[in-house]
Amino acid sequence: MNWLVNTLGSSIGKKLLMAITGLGFCSFLAGHLAGNLTIYWGKDAFNSYAAHLHSLGPIITMAELGLLFFALVHILTGTTLFYQNFKARPVRYSMNKSAGGRTIGSRTMPYTGFFLLIFIVFHLINFHFIDKTGTTIYQIVHSAFENIGYVVIYVIAMIIAAIHVSHGLWSAFQTIGANHVKYMPFIKVVSYVFSLIIVIGFGFLPVYLGYIA
Amino acid sequence: MQLDAKIPGGPLAQKWDRHRFELKLVNPANKRKFEIIVVGTGLAGGSASASLAELGYNVKTFCIQDSPRRAHSIAAQGGINAAKNYTNEGDSIWRLFYDTVKGGDFRSREANVYRLAQVSNNIIDQCVAQGVPFARDYGGLLANRSFGGSQVQRTFYARGQTGQQLLLGAYSALMRQVGTGKVKMFPRREMLDVVAINGKARGIVARNLITGEIETHTGDAVVLCTGGYGNVYFLSTNAMASNVTAAFRAYKKGAYFANPCFTQIHPTCIPVHGDYQSKLTLMSESLRNDGRVWVPKNTGDKRRPQRIPEPERDYYLENKYPSFGNLVPRDVASRNAKEQCDMDKGVGETGLAVYLDFEDAIKRDGKEVIEKKYGNLFQMYEKITAENPYETPMMIYPAIHYTMGGLWVDYNLMSTIDGLFVLGEANFSDHGANRLGASALMQGLADGYFVLPYTIGGYLAGTPLEEITTGHSAFKESVTSVNDSVEKLLSINGKRTVDDFHKQLGHIMWDYCGMARNDEGLKKAKGMIQQLRAEFQENVLVPGSKKDFNQSLERAGRVADFLEFGELMIIDALSRQESCGGHFNEAYQTAENEALRDDENFCHVSAWEFTGKDKEPVLNKEELKFDNVELTQRSYK
Amino acid sequence: MTKTINLTLKVWRQKGQKKKGRLETYKAVDISTDMSFLEMIDVINEQLTLEGKEPIAFDHDCREGICGMCGAVVNGRPHGPEKGTTLCQLHMRHFSNNDTIVIEPWRSRAFPVIKDLAVERSALDRMIQAGGFISVNTGGAQDANAIPVSQEAAELAMDAAACIGCGACVAACPNASAMLFLSAKVSQLALFPQGKPEAAKRAISMVREMDMLGFGNCTNETECEAECPKEISITNIARLNREFYKAGFFSAEK
Repeated sequence: MNWLVNTLGSSIGKKLLMAITGLGFCSFLAGHLAGNLTIYWGKDAFNSYAAHLHSLGPIITMAELGLLFFALVHILTGTTLFYQNFKARPVRYSMNKSAGGRTIGSRTMPYTGFFLLIFIVFHLINFHFIDKTGTTIYQIVHSAFENIGYVVIYVIAMIIAAIHVSHGLWSAFQTIGANHVKYMPFIKVVSYVFSLIIVIGFGFLPVYLGYIA
Repeated sequence: MQLDAKIPGGPLAQKWDRHRFELKLVNPANKRKFEIIVVGTGLAGGSASASLAELGYNVKTFCIQDSPRRAHSIAAQGGINAAKNYTNEGDSIWRLFYDTVKGGDFRSREANVYRLAQVSNNIIDQCVAQGVPFARDYGGLLANRSFGGSQVQRTFYARGQTGQQLLLGAYSALMRQVGTGKVKMFPRREMLDVVAINGKARGIVARNLITGEIETHTGDAVVLCTGGYGNVYFLSTNAMASNVTAAFRAYKKGAYFANPCFTQIHPTCIPVHGDYQSKLTLMSESLRNDGRVWVPKNTGDKRRPQRIPEPERDYYLENKYPSFGNLVPRDVASRNAKEQCDMDKGVGETGLAVYLDFEDAIKRDGKEVIEKKYGNLFQMYEKITAENPYETPMMIYPAIHYTMGGLWVDYNLMSTIDGLFVLGEANFSDHGANRLGASALMQGLADGYFVLPYTIGGYLAGTPLEEITTGHSAFKESVTSVNDSVEKLLSINGKRTVDDFHKQLGHIMWDYCGMARNDEGLKKAKGMIQQLRAEFQENVLVPGSKKDFNQSLERAGRVADFLEFGELMIIDALSRQESCGGHFNEAYQTAENEALRDDENFCHVSAWEFTGKDKEPVLNKEELKFDNVELTQRSYK
Repeated sequence: MTKTINLTLKVWRQKGQKKKGRLETYKAVDISTDMSFLEMIDVINEQLTLEGKEPIAFDHDCREGICGMCGAVVNGRPHGPEKGTTLCQLHMRHFSNNDTIVIEPWRSRAFPVIKDLAVERSALDRMIQAGGFISVNTGGAQDANAIPVSQEAAELAMDAAACIGCGACVAACPNASAMLFLSAKVSQLALFPQGKPEAAKRAISMVREMDMLGFGNCTNETECEAECPKEISITNIARLNREFYKAGFFSAEK
C-alpha cells in the first residue's frame, strides 16, 4: 500500500483528492438543490420529500458518513496544501500583479473554503442536529428565514459557495486530466453556470421563504 | 613544429572506417579508470559529455551558465543538415561533402568534411530517438527545407528553434548521466587555464563564479567545447557570455590557433539602432527561402518601401546570381548587402540595412503558410523593431555570427597539446573560410556524439599517463598566475568601464577586420588595438571583490583576452594575402567583386603559435590537399 | 520613432544568499525606448560602476529570448508586462515617461537568491535528471523515419518542448509551483512513441523529485500559463496528471 500513499501523498495526488472530493460535493449540491426545489411546490411537497429521504434509513446514514469522510479529506488536504504553498515562498513580492490567470475564485479558495466550513457547521446545527419532534422541517426552515439575519447569512454563504465552486469545478476536471482544447471551454462555461445555479437556486430560497411564501 | 593532421590513408570514403579500426580501444572495464574534463555544454560539449559517460568514462563537465541547457547553441534557429536524401532530390554524402568544401571556399580539410557528411545521418537518427520534435509531414515522416548554399532540401528543423531542440536533446542525455553519477556537473564555473604536465593536458583551473573560489581539477584528458569568439566585435549574434578565454588560454599554453581571421558575417540580422545596443539579433537564414532581398534602384531614396514601385527596386541578389538568387551563401549575401549600402542605397534610419520582402510570398502562398513557416521569427522581429513584417518589408543587415577559425586540431580533434581535444565551433576544422547554413549544429553534434568518443579512446589507450594530483607544481603555478591576473584587474581602479573598452575594440574590429579588409586598415587597427590594450591595463575600472559573484570581473577577464586575441586575428588577416570565404581582402577580388583565392600560395591552414607576451606569434602551415574535389572559383550564378 | 524617457527604478539589492536584501531606488535618465529592458539595466550599471558603486547583478546571456537565463519580476509580473516575452525581449517602448518600476528576483524557496536579481535554479536541472530524458545511448538509434509520428503529436510536443527553463512559471505561481515546467517535459516525451517505454517511471520519479525540492503545489491558478514567455499551455499539466495517474495506479512502477 506504500504505492498508494506515495501516489496520493504527492503534489498531484493531493490535487486528485481535492478534485474527487470536490466533485463529490458538487454532485451532492446538485442533489441537495433538486430536493430543496420541492419547497416551491409548497410545504407538503417539501415535507414529504424530507420524509422520503429519511425513510431510506441506512442508505442515508451511509451517504452522510461518506460526505463526512469526503469533508475530512477535503479539509485536511486543503489545509496541508495551504500550509505547504505558503511555505514555498518564504520572501513575498513587494508588488503583486496578476497576468490574468487568477480569478476571484482561485485567489480565495482557502478562505472561501474556511468560511464554508464554518457555514456548514452553522447550517447543520440549525437544520440537521435539531430536535424535530412536533414540528416539520418546513416549519423549522420557514421560521428560521423569517429572521433577516439568517437570510443575509445564507445569501452571502451561497455567493461564497458559488465563488468557491466557480474555480473548483473546472479545476477538478483539469486535475483529473480532462483538459482538452475542444472541451475545456465548455467545461469552464458549465462551471460558471453551475455556480450561478447555486447562487440563484439556493440563495433565492431563504428570500422566498422569508418574504414571499 | 611540423603539423601532422594524422589523416588516415586510403580512399576518402573509407578513411573514417579505416581509422576507427586502427584506433586502439579502451576495454569497457578500464574506461571507468579514466577521468575526462569537458569544458562547455553546447551541442559539442553536451553530446560529448553524455556519450563519454555512456561509454563508461568518468566525466567532469563545466559551464559558465547556471545550467548546461543555456549554452548558445540554443539560439540556432534554422536547422541541421544531413545527407538523408529523404526528398529524393539526388542528395548524397558526397554532395553534402562537396557543398561544404565548396561553401568553405576550399580552405577546409577534405577528410574531416567527408567524415562530417558521413555521420550527419546518424545525428538525425540519434536526435529523433531522444525525442527531438523535428517538423514532420502529414504522413508522420520528417520534413526538410532548403538553406543557403545548397540546391537540395536537406535541412531538418524544429520550427525556428532547431538549435534549442537539439541542445535540449543533448542536455537531456547529459542530465541522465548526471543522474547516474557518471558525469559530475560544475555549472557557473569559468575555465581560466589548462594545466599541462609533461606536455599533456592534465587538468584545468576554473573560477567558481558564485564564490569567486579558484578551483583546480585533474583529468586524463581535457575537452574544450567553448564555442567561438564572435564577441571580439562586441556586437554579434553571440550570447553575452560567449568568449575566447578558454581557447585563448589554451593557445597561450601551447595549442595553436588556426585561421583566426575566418569569421562569418550572417546576412540576415536586425540592423543596429543605438550605442546602447548590447547584441544583434539574427533572423534565420531560412527567411531567404521566401523573402526577396532588395534596395531602391536610386541612391538616397528615402521613401517608405511600399511607395517604391516595382521598376525602381533592385533585387540585386536575384539579378546577379540567377541560379541561386536569394539563396547564395552567407558571405556572398553579406558582402553584397554591404556593397549596396556603400553605394548609398541602404535603407532605414541609419542607411545600414536592406529590405527582405515577403509580399510576393504572401501573395503566392497566403499569409497562413508564411505564418506557419516563419511565424515566430516575424513575431520576434516585431517585438524588437515594433514593425509588422507581414505589411512592411523587414530590414536586415549583416552581423558577426560565427567564427570558422579556432584551435588547430588533427583528424582526432586533438590540439597541439597532447590530450587537449577541441570540439565544435572552438576548433577550426570543418568549415574552411565560410560555413554553410545548418552546418554548425551538424558539426557540433558530429564531434561530440560520433567522433570524439572514438578518438579519445585511441589517445587514452595509447598514452602512458602518470598519477597526478592538484598538488602538482604545475597546478600551483597556474593558480598563482590566474590569481595574479584577477587581482591585477581589480587593482587598476581606472576611469573606464570594461564594456567601454569592449565597445571600442568592437568598433576597431568591425571597421578594419570585418566584412571587407585591406592591408592599410589592418595595420592601422593593429596599432589601435595595442594602444587600447595598454590603456586597458592602466585605466580599466572593475568594481567589487574577487571572492564574490562579480560579473564585471568576469567580463574584464574576457575582454582582456579579446584585446590580445583581436591582434592575433589581424596578424592572421594580414598574413593571408588572398580573399576566401569570410576573409575578403579588397586587393584580391575578381572583376565581379567576388573573393579571389590564391591557391598557389595560400592553400593552407594558418596555425599560430604563441611565443610569449607582446611577442609576434609564429606561423605554422598545414598544407591542404584536395585529391577529390577540383579547386574552382566559387560561383553561384 | 526613437524617443527617450525617464524612470524611477526600485531594484532589489541583496549581497548574498544569507544576507538581508532591500529595494533601492535609482533614477534612469534618457532611456531610449528602443532599448531592451536589460540594456536599460546595462546603462544603470555603467553609471553605478563609474560612481564607484557595485552594479546590479542579474543573469542574462543570449538576449534573444531563448536561453532562459534572464528574468526578474517587473512591477509584480515575471518578465514584465508583455505577453509571451522574456525580459531581454521586453523593450522600453512599453513604459511611459516618469514610470516607477519595481524589479525583484524570482521568489521561491527552491530558488534562493545568489545576489541581487540572480537566483539559483539548479532545482530545474534536478527534475530533468530525475527522468526528463529518453534513455538511448549514442549509436544504437534506428533510421529516423522508421518511427512515424503524426504531425499533430509532433506539433503538440514542440509546443511543450519550447520551454526555455527560465523559471517564470514558478515565479508567477502564487504557490511557487513548478508544475508547468515539469509538465512541459513530461508532455513532450509522452507524446512520442519513443518516450512510451519509460513514461511511467518518468512521471513518478520526476514528480517525486519536484515535491522534494521545496516547490509549492499546483492549484490551477493558471498564472504560469499567462506569464510563460513561450506561452506553454496548462493542457500539458493535465497531460502530466494523466501520465502520473496511469503510472501511479496502473503501472507496476512504485
